[in-house]
Amino acid sequence: MSGGTVINGRPVGNTLYAFPELWSRLGYVASYFNLLLGILLIILITDEFQFRTFRQQVIDGLSRAELVQAKLGVAVALVLYATVVVLTVGLYFGLTRGPQPAPGAITADLGAVALYALQALGYLSIAALLAFLVRKSGPAIISFLVYMWIAEPLLRSQLPDELDRYFPAKLLGSLTPTPGQELLNTVTGPTGALTPAQAVPFALGYIAIFWGLSYLLLRNRDL
Amino acid sequence: MSSLSEHGTHIHFRFASKRMAVLELNNLSKHYGSTQALRGLTLTVEEGSVYGLLGPNGSGKTTTLGMALGVLNASGGTIRWFGQPISSDSKRRVGAMLETPNFFPYLSARQNLRVVAAVKQADDQAIEDALEVVGLLARQHDAFSTYSLGMKQRLALASTLLSKPSVLVLDEPTNGLDPQGIAEVRTLIQRLAAEGKTIIIASHLLDEIEKICTHVAVLHRGELRAAGRVSDILATTDRVLLRPSATTTAATLQQALGQFPWVTDVQTESDGRLSAQLAEGYDPAALNKALFERGIVLAGLEMRQRSLETQFLALTQAQ
Repeated sequence: MSGGTVINGRPVGNTLYAFPELWSRLGYVASYFNLLLGILLIILITDEFQFRTFRQQVIDGLSRAELVQAKLGVAVALVLYATVVVLTVGLYFGLTRGPQPAPGAITADLGAVALYALQALGYLSIAALLAFLVRKSGPAIISFLVYMWIAEPLLRSQLPDELDRYFPAKLLGSLTPTPGQELLNTVTGPTGALTPAQAVPFALGYIAIFWGLSYLLLRNRDL
Repeated sequence: MSSLSEHGTHIHFRFASKRMAVLELNNLSKHYGSTQALRGLTLTVEEGSVYGLLGPNGSGKTTTLGMALGVLNASGGTIRWFGQPISSDSKRRVGAMLETPNFFPYLSARQNLRVVAAVKQADDQAIEDALEVVGLLARQHDAFSTYSLGMKQRLALASTLLSKPSVLVLDEPTNGLDPQGIAEVRTLIQRLAAEGKTIIIASHLLDEIEKICTHVAVLHRGELRAAGRVSDILATTDRVLLRPSATTTAATLQQALGQFPWVTDVQTESDGRLSAQLAEGYDPAALNKALFERGIVLAGLEMRQRSLETQFLALTQAQ
């Protein structure tokens, strides 16, 4: 029933799908799909430039602030969708594959899902800023991936830990830490990343800054 | 009126006392990098007029409208709609299209108009009416991307009509239409103008401006060359052409013409004839009579309506 995978002599299913640890594991796994959400948002925003519908909507009566607010609304909707997916998947596998949950165990660590949602919104904020900046879907997607995968890690590798933990991608990543990080830390030493609780205010700050910059870009350029 | 008088004593107030200014552009400028697209444009569009912006491609028509509509940031100068700075409220009173029809290609005509209606706060019945006016009801559920250029243009026109605006801004509204479509659009514009709507049209087609506009501003390389009533700018330049008979030399004729104070601007045409302009109240018959009384017989005398093209070229080439 709970699969045939066995690690260290124990069937994995029993611990893998156990509440409440399941939520933080799932949040970590789901964080890999944030890039897809980001790409989707980039396409939605750059399409509006390509079809000149931003331009038409401003002509028809919207302000540029309302255009940015509308896209923030789309980002929030995407985050809600992703959160619902994570909750559904977690409940389904936790209840069907995991051990019988202790009373209150299911809701005990739902905060991990909230952290994931915040992270997803953070990724989407970076994606939106790049979309408003670059305005073409291909180059915007490429710059998003290059920044997340190559540019920022490369830059971080040149800087001391005290500084690089505050970089956007790193900081957002620390909202959903790798499961079993404590075990890894015994081998590699502490990561130097912030704890999720420490990262939350910075993540909120980044989100505000990125949307603010998106608005400034839109306001100061021709449509 | 009170809101206008608050804003000082500039010249627009005098116009306002007669007719309200719908759009006032004051010293409007735009540059893209080092390219100056528009230099110090000042013009006022009064309520109820059909105002043409005329100029060759690249003369700054779309730039002017883009700034007036708030999608391009002006490098200098001010824009006022209905006496106020541009606002969401003023935009909802204006139906506008700029350059190309801008719609989501994967949505149908009706869905696209619903998006516009949401912004314009118009109702479903308005969508129905607008689609009917432009004759797109039959194709309303087809995706915008399947439309021909003419249909796209007509859908753009429909979207400008959605909120039943008092002002229409149309950028090359007949672009891409076939002759029948052009005639239809012109009839529609004339009908809307007859309803008292103010219409601002950018066009490089003289013929179009002449047929539908009451006022015109001629732009060339970002500068305003002339502005005023169409009849003043484009049409008061009829000339008479005179061919002297074999017994009269051109010089004699020219000398005689010089003695009439009501004959001005005597020029020698390329074919040897003379052309001149007559003051108001004088017709070719009067000229013929006056010349005959001085013993000058003409072999030919005709009126030539100075073509719009000639006038337009004169306006845009004079440096």
